[in-house]
Amino acid sequence: MRFHWRLVQRGEKQLMTRSLREERFETALPDLETQVKFCHKAEESGIDSLLVDINFATPDPMMLAGALASRTRKIKLIVAVRSGLISPTLFVQQVNTFSSLYGDRISLNVVAGHSPDEQRCYGDFLDHDTRYERTREFLDICRRLWRREEVNFEGKYFRIEGGRLNTPFVSSQRDHPETLVAGGSEAACALALEHGDCWMRLADAPSALAPSLGPALQCGREVGLRLSVVAGRTRTEALEAAHALVEQTTLQKKEAVTEQRFVSASDSRSIAAVYRSAEKEWLAPCLWTGMVRSHGAPAIALVGSYDEIATALLEYGSLGVTQFIISGWPKLDSMVCFGAEILPRVRAKEHKELVHA
Amino acid sequence: MDGDKREKIVNASDPLRFHWSLSQAGDKFRRLRPPEQMPGRLSLESQLELCRQGERCGIESMLMAIGFTRPDPTLLSIELGLQTEKMKFMIACRSGLISPTYWVQQINTASALLPGRICVNMVCGHTPHELRYYGDFLSHDERYERTDEFLAICRALWAAGPGGPGVDFQGKHYRVEKSLLRTPFVSGHDAMPEIFVGGNSDQAAALAASHGDCLWRFPDRDENLRPHCELLRSAHKQIGLLVSLITRPTHEEAMAACQALLAQFNVDARTNHQRFASRSDSVGFRSVYASAVEQPEWLTPWLWTGAVPYLGPPAIALVGSFQEVVATLRHYQSMGITQFLFTGWPDIEEMEYFGKGVLPLLYQNGVATESQA
Repeated sequence: MRFHWRLVQRGEKQLMTRSLREERFETALPDLETQVKFCHKAEESGIDSLLVDINFATPDPMMLAGALASRTRKIKLIVAVRSGLISPTLFVQQVNTFSSLYGDRISLNVVAGHSPDEQRCYGDFLDHDTRYERTREFLDICRRLWRREEVNFEGKYFRIEGGRLNTPFVSSQRDHPETLVAGGSEAACALALEHGDCWMRLADAPSALAPSLGPALQCGREVGLRLSVVAGRTRTEALEAAHALVEQTTLQKKEAVTEQRFVSASDSRSIAAVYRSAEKEWLAPCLWTGMVRSHGAPAIALVGSYDEIATALLEYGSLGVTQFIISGWPKLDSMVCFGAEILPRVRAKEHKELVHA
Repeated sequence: MDGDKREKIVNASDPLRFHWSLSQAGDKFRRLRPPEQMPGRLSLESQLELCRQGERCGIESMLMAIGFTRPDPTLLSIELGLQTEKMKFMIACRSGLISPTYWVQQINTASALLPGRICVNMVCGHTPHELRYYGDFLSHDERYERTDEFLAICRALWAAGPGGPGVDFQGKHYRVEKSLLRTPFVSGHDAMPEIFVGGNSDQAAALAASHGDCLWRFPDRDENLRPHCELLRSAHKQIGLLVSLITRPTHEEAMAACQALLAQFNVDARTNHQRFASRSDSVGFRSVYASAVEQPEWLTPWLWTGAVPYLGPPAIALVGSFQEVVATLRHYQSMGITQFLFTGWPDIEEMEYFGKGVLPLLYQNGVATESQA
């Protein structure tokens, strides 16, 4: 199992709600010093990669990831990409340039966008399913360029003639960057099967999750979960920490209203599903939805003692989940704690299972 | 060369500014090869060396070109910028490759990482078959029309800033709604980058006049340059020349350098560029190439096209002794041409001649200032 973490953005000292992120403008600028330190801590903590988000309120993930790779040696960056923003050829050129400069340290998180309003900022007026259709063409072209074929493609959204690039994708391991395809909808899963290496979705209770994993696993794709972690030495401590996180904000109802507005304007299936599921506070013994309605769907969280969280992660592992993109707060401390307390427990249990098998 | 005659019409206005092309760093005869065979990975060490030498030689920015033969210019600029002190990067962009909003986000992010060190060069591409690699099937004139819309959106986003009202735009090629970015352009003084527009066509000049700060074009005989000079001047915009430089302490040495350059070429390179020229729809590329093969190799006493058949139109060269080059630059300044984007064969040596030979004379004459560089 591999564990990734969300990169800290400027000013993200505590858990931030959507309204805080978008109104304070602080996250809009890079903070190289803090972010490079975060990268180094991630390396020390056994974190595989850091996810660099894409949206109108943060720096461009490709350029920011480039700067971080320039200042570090080992950590990998997962760069988010949406298909409506850039020619697939130029996108591949950026990925290849990154790999030429920094080696095998870039992977992709392919997203379809979740807010029609935000997509229109970028000139993208397609609806949910059509965006996936376009992303399918986009990835098809990218894959052909990575295979170093001359690309002749005529689709509904893209047309390329004689496509080629002189700058190659550079990696000792693979001929294309590892591609995570994110999204809970059937369209997202189908896309992951066709052009992805890993299907990324939001966490759910293991019993609810298991049936959805079949197609991806049978096709030899990996499955990854996006979730948050709130851990403590004891379960009581973790619960206190979780409630403290929520209380920072829900005392003022404003954040909950902002999030509700965002969800109702969003056309993402999984954001809506997770929001609905938050009617129930606990989806599984450790899977808590208490932050979802104020802090967004990725705040669906494993809450518990170090042992409980390690066990919960392994339970997902036993279903076939092999990657996790995790958020925690405060970002740095929670990641360091994960590396020091939870990861060793996961590895020990993995080892034990391996020995028993 | 007739340096004296030119000096008499000097009427210095704006100080001169100098830029250099990074294109061939570490691969000096890159342009001898057909594009498909040009290496897409270049030596970062050589590129850094050229940037650092530029910082010492009065070069304000490096042109970061765009095209299928090269790395992405924005990412490469960030890498080079993080490893240098003050060099600026002039990042090329073609409008058909990226959403204007997303491009502004990339440029603004680069500027936040390298404050005050990012400017942009809008180009419309020069060869239709290459543009199709990227999914761009528009004709020359349509590309200018699209670039006009592209820059209108970019400028509106920059003018609005991170807290501004959203930008609405509906054109023939682009539509955005309530467009807004939180990441600002960071320079310490300006809300938007200096915008250069590359091209020799009248459309390019019009685009520079409406949405740009400076037009880049290839040199030509003075009478052919004047219409664009006048257009840009009346729009209170600048005009600059994209030109190779061959300068040596004496006139004879400069002429010998031209001959030495020619001696290194073979017929294959000539065939490559013939083929390239026949496929290009760029007014500038075609006219410089045509004049190089059809007319005498000296367009003016200081403009040499002898290497163009082998190295392509960017090899049109300003040639002369240090004194002669100073006279030529002052002559252009008197016409309102105040910026120069040089290429050298090879770059490092030529930049050295420029920095040690030409620049001190310009400083003495007060036509360029050290703070400018």
